[in-house]
Amino acid sequence: MSATSWAWLVLLLPLLGSIAVAVGFRAIPARVAGVVGTASVGLAFLCALGVLFNLLGEDADARHHASSLWTYAGAAGLDIKLGVYVDQLSAFMILVVTGVSALIHLYSFGYMQSDEGYRRFFSYLNFFVFSMLLLVLAGNFVLLIVGWAFVGFASYALISFWYRRATATKAGMKAFVINVVGDIGLVLAALLIFRELGSFDYGAVFAHAPGAFARGEWSVTAICLLLLVGAFAKSAQIPFHTWLPDAMEGPTPVSALIHAATMVTAGVYLIARTHVLFYLAPTAADVAALIGLATLLVAGTIAIAQTDLKRIVAYSTMSQIGYMIMGVAIGAYAQGLFHLMTHAFFKALLFMTAGSIISAMANLQDIDRMSGFWRAMRFTSLMLVVGGLALAAFPLTSGFFSKDSILAYAEARGGIYTWMAVGGYVGALLTAIYTFRLVFRVLPGRPCEEAQHLIDTGELYHGPPVNPASGEEEDTEVGFPGAHHHIAERSWPMAAAMGVLALGALFAGLVQIPGVDNVLFGFLDPAFADSPLAAIHPSAGAEWRGLAIGAAISVLGIGLAWYLWVARPQLPRLFRERLRPVYLLCLNKWYFDEAIDLLVVRPALAIGRFANNTFERLVVDGVVTGARDAVGGAGGVVRFVQSGFVRSYALLLIAGFAGLALYFLLRAT
Amino acid sequence: MSIEWYVVLSSLLFATGAMGILLRRSPIVILLCLELMLNAGNLALVAFSRMVGNQQGQVFALVVMVVAACEVVVGLGLIVAIFRRKLPLDVDELRELRG
Amino acid sequence: MINSLLWAPLAFGLAGLLLPRRFAGWWATLGAAATLGVAIALLAGFDSGAAGLQYAVDVSWIPGLGVDYSLGLDGLNVFLVVLTALLWLGGTAFAAFREQRRPHLFFLMMLLAETATLGAFVAQDLLLFVLFFDLMLIPFYFLFGAWGSDREDGPTAAAATLKMLVYTLVGSLLMLVGAIATAIIAAQDGGHHLTFSIAELAKHPIAEGSQRWIFWFFAAAFLVKMPAFLLHGWMPDAYRAAPLPVLAVFSGVLAKVGAYGFLRVVLPLFPAATVQFQEVVLVIALASILYGSAMAFTQTDIRLVGGYSSVAQLGFITAGIFALRADGADGAVLQMVNHGLVVAPLFIIVAVLAERSGTEDMRQMGGMAMRAPVLAALFLIVTLATLAMPGSANFVGEFYILNGLFQAKIVYAFVAISGVAMSAYYALRLYQRTMHNRRPDTVPSREIGLRDGLVLAPLVLCIVGLALYPQLILHRTDPAVKRSVAALKTPVEGTLAKR
Repeated sequence: MSATSWAWLVLLLPLLGSIAVAVGFRAIPARVAGVVGTASVGLAFLCALGVLFNLLGEDADARHHASSLWTYAGAAGLDIKLGVYVDQLSAFMILVVTGVSALIHLYSFGYMQSDEGYRRFFSYLNFFVFSMLLLVLAGNFVLLIVGWAFVGFASYALISFWYRRATATKAGMKAFVINVVGDIGLVLAALLIFRELGSFDYGAVFAHAPGAFARGEWSVTAICLLLLVGAFAKSAQIPFHTWLPDAMEGPTPVSALIHAATMVTAGVYLIARTHVLFYLAPTAADVAALIGLATLLVAGTIAIAQTDLKRIVAYSTMSQIGYMIMGVAIGAYAQGLFHLMTHAFFKALLFMTAGSIISAMANLQDIDRMSGFWRAMRFTSLMLVVGGLALAAFPLTSGFFSKDSILAYAEARGGIYTWMAVGGYVGALLTAIYTFRLVFRVLPGRPCEEAQHLIDTGELYHGPPVNPASGEEEDTEVGFPGAHHHIAERSWPMAAAMGVLALGALFAGLVQIPGVDNVLFGFLDPAFADSPLAAIHPSAGAEWRGLAIGAAISVLGIGLAWYLWVARPQLPRLFRERLRPVYLLCLNKWYFDEAIDLLVVRPALAIGRFANNTFERLVVDGVVTGARDAVGGAGGVVRFVQSGFVRSYALLLIAGFAGLALYFLLRAT
Repeated sequence: MSIEWYVVLSSLLFATGAMGILLRRSPIVILLCLELMLNAGNLALVAFSRMVGNQQGQVFALVVMVVAACEVVVGLGLIVAIFRRKLPLDVDELRELRG
Repeated sequence: MINSLLWAPLAFGLAGLLLPRRFAGWWATLGAAATLGVAIALLAGFDSGAAGLQYAVDVSWIPGLGVDYSLGLDGLNVFLVVLTALLWLGGTAFAAFREQRRPHLFFLMMLLAETATLGAFVAQDLLLFVLFFDLMLIPFYFLFGAWGSDREDGPTAAAATLKMLVYTLVGSLLMLVGAIATAIIAAQDGGHHLTFSIAELAKHPIAEGSQRWIFWFFAAAFLVKMPAFLLHGWMPDAYRAAPLPVLAVFSGVLAKVGAYGFLRVVLPLFPAATVQFQEVVLVIALASILYGSAMAFTQTDIRLVGGYSSVAQLGFITAGIFALRADGADGAVLQMVNHGLVVAPLFIIVAVLAERSGTEDMRQMGGMAMRAPVLAALFLIVTLATLAMPGSANFVGEFYILNGLFQAKIVYAFVAISGVAMSAYYALRLYQRTMHNRRPDTVPSREIGLRDGLVLAPLVLCIVGLALYPQLILHRTDPAVKRSVAALKTPVEGTLAKR
């Protein structure tokens, strides 16, 4: 079978899984739904391996194929086919997506077991995987937009999965609308590409672009800026990031899958996919890199001040994606994707441990309330430490190699990019601090009430069901987060998923050790050969120097976190009081929500209200009312004359004739 | 006799009829005054016909007489109908048709 | 064939008068189904490659005035005919499942309306078109006025209907004047005898000066029907008064007659004026998009969300037509079908929801999805199609429209696309407010009944099917659209040369 046939299978399997679970929701038992959902994604992973081996069997330069099923919409000069494009980039992406998704499905199999919406959950989850695969496999920009919007919808559906919670539906709406803004950016970019190049197909567009555009020409810059709107909205970069922390309203496996490992990296994929255009638009690429840098720093500072377990991890996701965006924007394509992969492993792992802890806390997410989980849940704690180490880029973990490969490239490219590398190192310090702040708050110390309950009785603590975001009490009907979430220690599917991810988080970096091996970059680089930027390679010596700096920063950050939150626990409070404005800025997420509310939401609603209350009544109805009054007024005059007095009619008649007669007489003389 | 006398008499008759219509409220009197006005017209027609020397004006006068007769028939019929329905015989009271 | 399509509904409606009351609804449903069968047979036999008229019927009707009884199908109307038949079957069946007052008359009016609408779509003679266009109004006047509901805080059904009647009559009388003027001027200019045949008239467009004012006479009728911004004053009251099954077909099909009229009549007959007033109409269209969207997201009455979203959608369609390019017009035709397929199920769902909650105010609704997963799923698909989610045929339609605008007038495309973001908000808001969040105690969550499901599910299946293969429509529409748009080419060059 050819690579594209395998690719079609990869697409088809999760879709079939989703449809099967959705259509058979009454007929099949919940467990079967879980098995079908997990198995279809697992099989898709195997098919993705099929794609990979097919590509590996070919010449490195010939590893790109397009295939289409039927003409989707072709009229009036537009030709849009239902087609896939398989090359090293999409093969890599589908491997990461299906691999991590399969593990997260496995985790959900245990985690969601007591939830009333179990089947619905798996149907959505499979649909999401299908959409994500469509996004990365799409062979033209229109299909890319379709996949792009589908993942947005799947994300919406899963964020508001517990739709009884007003906070969840609101968060879903926010995510959806911001993502639609991103879609619009993409649509406009696609239309502009069509206008300039006359095609939507990747092959044709990327082949013709270098000839059609001069480097730095306004049109290609406009295209890239519009693409960036899409990329930023999906990848939660400033200023389109506000939906991501709110998206934590969804069940934790969703956060792991969509809002950490896969969907939010779509922007990175997009920039890597359109690297030909971004090379031609250096201004747009620099904008992307700077915003990536800004996001990684801002998100890092916010993460330090937050107390919600999942939101801290969410902000760290934003921050890590900032690295990736910066990487692919400055030309470190393979490096950015490398970080995408390792991040998928350790961030999914971190969310899974978070889910395990949150279930033990009876849905509470406030880290101020947590302590002593090391004694209550050994396995989960171990996993948290592993994930934390990888996120903090502790030496020899996967995050260590991948993050530093981006920064080493930035340094090698020189100029302003060196300063970006410096910014990246600052971000790395922040990352290490907030990650281990989390670890040190949750794990050591005297067990909190819930943890103690778990140690004493071996049972999960059950509080009254409350909404973790608003604190209001929940009703216990359908659509409510099941009261008995399982914890990783007791459920083999969850433990297995976390174990595999932990291995990835620890050792995935070994595929790409500078000067030792070059497995990943060796595979990916030919896909980017058409961009001169891909030819820049830092020397092994420079890379090791960077790694040494990274290691030092990581250890320093962890040490600082230990000093602040374990050795001198009173210090943070002191900082909070002394640096109150800074603390408030970080705590309130730099007031982005408020700014967007003030600048976009309120004006839009005000216009809507004005249209409804004032304009509609005065102008639209006014036209009618005015016409009616005019006719009525004219009628009033006539009515006055029609008095019903015969003699006044006669008078008018005679006066009229007399007047006429007088007129003719006067004219005659 | 010159034409002026005829015309003056006709005008006087016409003015009398018009004044009667404007000032009186009884439908019967109004009908009478209408006849007066029509006959003023007839007088003028016949007089001019004689002056010009052909018979066209006299033909018109005959037509007017026929119309006047019809009109009287309808008018008197209406008055009788009004009387029968015990309505006041006063045109100022009969103003059902006001707008 | 085309005659049986056109007159079958009316024949069934009249025959239904002889049946007992309780069969009236079923008989009418059967009639609508038979019509749909004929429509599908016509579609199956439709030659997709040909640009000209198919199944043409042309009989001299009033020879003295040059009026012909001339019907025909081409790429512009074939799917609108199928859409009409489909939605009428849905609406009629949905109404038949419910108790109606004076059922004989109700269903006669429904079927008369179908005949009139189909007539407007298939007529190829200008006067016949005007005739059917006005005939449509009569049954709907009675349906809205007599079977509609009065509002406590608004006008009565009769008053609302009268308002609609006045609006549309002013428009269509202007159109009648325009139609007669066109034929007479053409006869005088050409020196031949009087004819109302659209094809004949299109061969030699009348002088530019006359086109200018006649263009607006026609545009007035069509823009009121859609309704477009500033001419939509009748819409809120009429929509609130209308019985929901009737509203489903009304909103689904009648608005499209206006847009269709532009493609069928205005573009071929008044090419110079069309080119000249392109930007004026585009501005009206964009204003409709923005205004309709802004209104839709502040409404609390769930019918009006649908109503104002239609204003916005018809704005898109008009914009597509007045891009004056084949891609924009292709998108517009596709979008007409899409919007009909979306808005009719939407109003049926509104009816279902209103029956459960006893209110049409979304503030008093919520949580309906709980025990009604099938209803929720169907509603969700309809919602997503309404907001033109990529992957739906609606997106393809909008994409084509935007592409046409983008190539023709790039600034307008940027403004128009902001309507997409707003549509995401109002459509999803409608879904969330009714289906999600907590359920008020007064609102029971009940699964959709089997019979309503039978009405709704096929419509939703059509949405899904078209989403997978929009080419079905585009492929058949394209030749006819190209011909319609090609008529504009010569005058475009002409006006350019003059400048």
